[in-house]
Amino acid sequence: MPLSTFMGLETTLRGILAQQLAINVTGHNISNANTVGYSRQSAVLSPTDPYSEPGVSRPPQAGQLGTGVDVASYNRIRDGFLDIQYRAQAMKQGLSTATQDGLSQVQDALAEPSDHGLNALLQKYWSSWQDVSNSPENMATRQSLAQNAAGLADGFNALASQLSTIQSQTGQNVLSTVDQVNSIGGQIAQLNDAIMKDTVTGDHPNDLLDKRDLLIDQLSQLGNVTVTATTYGQVDISIGGASLVSGATAATLAESNMTSLTSGKLAGLITLRDTTIPGYQSQLDTLASTLITATNTQHAAGFDLNGTAGGAFFTGTSASTIAINPLLISNPALIAASGNGKVGNADNALALANIRNQALIGASTIDTAYSQLVTQIGSDTQQAQRDSDTANLLTGSIDDRRQSVSGVSLDEEMTNLVKFQRGYQASARAMSAMDEMIDQLISRTGKVGL
Amino acid sequence: MRITQNMLTRTLLSDLQNVTDKLSATQQKLSSGKELTQPSDDPFGTSRALQYRADLAQNQQYQRNVDEANSWQSVTDTALGKISDSVLRVRDLVVQGASDTSGPAARNDIAAEITQLIDSIKAEGNTQYAGRYVFAGSATTTQPYQMGASDTYAGNAEVMQREIGPNVRIDLNQTGIAVIGDSSSGLLKTLRTIVTDLQTNNGAALQNSDLQAIDTAVDTISNAQAVNGASQNRLQTANARLQELEQTTTQLLSNTEDADMAKTLVDFSTQQAVYQSALRAGAQIIQPSLMDFLSSN
Repeated sequence: MPLSTFMGLETTLRGILAQQLAINVTGHNISNANTVGYSRQSAVLSPTDPYSEPGVSRPPQAGQLGTGVDVASYNRIRDGFLDIQYRAQAMKQGLSTATQDGLSQVQDALAEPSDHGLNALLQKYWSSWQDVSNSPENMATRQSLAQNAAGLADGFNALASQLSTIQSQTGQNVLSTVDQVNSIGGQIAQLNDAIMKDTVTGDHPNDLLDKRDLLIDQLSQLGNVTVTATTYGQVDISIGGASLVSGATAATLAESNMTSLTSGKLAGLITLRDTTIPGYQSQLDTLASTLITATNTQHAAGFDLNGTAGGAFFTGTSASTIAINPLLISNPALIAASGNGKVGNADNALALANIRNQALIGASTIDTAYSQLVTQIGSDTQQAQRDSDTANLLTGSIDDRRQSVSGVSLDEEMTNLVKFQRGYQASARAMSAMDEMIDQLISRTGKVGL
Repeated sequence: MRITQNMLTRTLLSDLQNVTDKLSATQQKLSSGKELTQPSDDPFGTSRALQYRADLAQNQQYQRNVDEANSWQSVTDTALGKISDSVLRVRDLVVQGASDTSGPAARNDIAAEITQLIDSIKAEGNTQYAGRYVFAGSATTTQPYQMGASDTYAGNAEVMQREIGPNVRIDLNQTGIAVIGDSSSGLLKTLRTIVTDLQTNNGAALQNSDLQAIDTAVDTISNAQAVNGASQNRLQTANARLQELEQTTTQLLSNTEDADMAKTLVDFSTQQAVYQSALRAGAQIIQPSLMDFLSSN
């Protein structure tokens, strides 16, 4: 036989080395069992080229003889389709979570239903006019009306300023989120570069790919992301219609660059800042300005305790500027409760109290318009909560499916460990057997009878 | 499906989070007694709750208005009763003085008594309620009559109104000019004429025009009493209706806003049981793995 005596040693050595590499991969998996974004890897074992090559000069032998095993590659076990699904849900999750957070703050600012929300302040204000109508001559009831009107104005001011605060905080949040987008973009560009360098040399940069996928997952929470695979394992990324990463270069985006943000945290925050909260503010301003105009018009039609026509009751034009005329606080006698200048007449006070029953805002009274605003905020918040619950559930279940494919199962790794350990042991045993045979050949041949 | 340890952990955590969320919401319902703590709990319910709260506040205000008007009219009623007594006494005295058997001296005495009665009627005309003259029309801070010879009425003829329901108004006051009159009309003028007739010994006038005039005055007073009484009746009816409405609205508000305790408690114990079993499952997630059974050889 024209085979080397030592060929078996080489064959078993390959076995030992390959099993050892497989054990190393198992060890890597176990070490990263709890690493976020890690995809399990497997060593792909494949037989080495058999001996010998077919050819006319091939030595005569029975056929091709196997020469052992080698690790062909380290595979990263991952389903790209699940990544796409996950990211689509993550965008919705980012959108609905941001919306829900903002709206919950708006809702907390309302403090309804309660005994100290704007509704209760409105009721106290209307009732105070009725109290004045019961005893228009009485300075105490007038003083109490002036105080309740001031309380109502404060209530409007406080709500308006809370809405502005939430709006400006949302604006701050947009800026820091854009920073986050740019920072992630930079990291992805660096990874693209490293991945390209590995790929051109024929490697599989599994762990770099995991890191990049994790960053893309995070990015898709922030905006609607499009991922396009290009050459050498690189990806181009655009967010909100603007190109963020192209190969190894990352752009520094501003909010104005992302012209078609439709999903993700940024879209949620921008809608809150530019549409939702201003909508609430303008409704609140309409309420306040309607109250101011109607009250001042009616107040001017009446007469104060001195018999002179009433001046302005409220000053200001919006929810943030409404205030009671300070003259009325210092001298409540100037409140024009009388309809004809007589002290006992309270027709104007009744008319002012009855502004509550007038359909001044469309078909709604001031009270019902406020209650509509509360209902609208309530149902917007409820909708956002539902969306966020659904998105959380869906991202959770898609993540489960991803984990099912890519996650590390310790039981499986232990089984692999045993398997490869046994493989290693058996290869070593085979090598020992070869060794014994060669020992027999070298040390004992020709010593018959010694 | 291939199941990994991380999947078990994630599922457990998200389930625990859900159960804790629900438990905390139920706990808040139990401790606050409210079904609605935020508009998003039930937006439509919240709008109804706000409406009921507004209705209640308005209702309570109307009850205060009714009480206030009722007190005013009770004071008016008492004063009218006293005026009526005085006028009836005057009528008796006129009948007595008109008799031909009464001589000038007796008529003078009667005139003196009637003059006294005029003052007491004017005193009733100055009746106050909570610092306000009830017979002064809308000049409630001006004393309508001066004691003594001057019968000028310093008030006005305005009838003031109070609101006792949405757009339901009621006339509040009887004016002095209508009930008691002044030097040129009404009861006071009649009485002054009678006094003059008595002093001038004008028997014919006393027997005819004065007696008729005092009868008219009696009618005017009892008419005023009737109007005032009817108005008080109306106020009482309104009050009963408002109280009934308050009860209904309170009930509706409670149905909308308040938690159903029995149901909430049952929910709470169910959720507690779920929470405990989720925790138990969590404790077992650190399951023995293959490692516990592989010998280390």
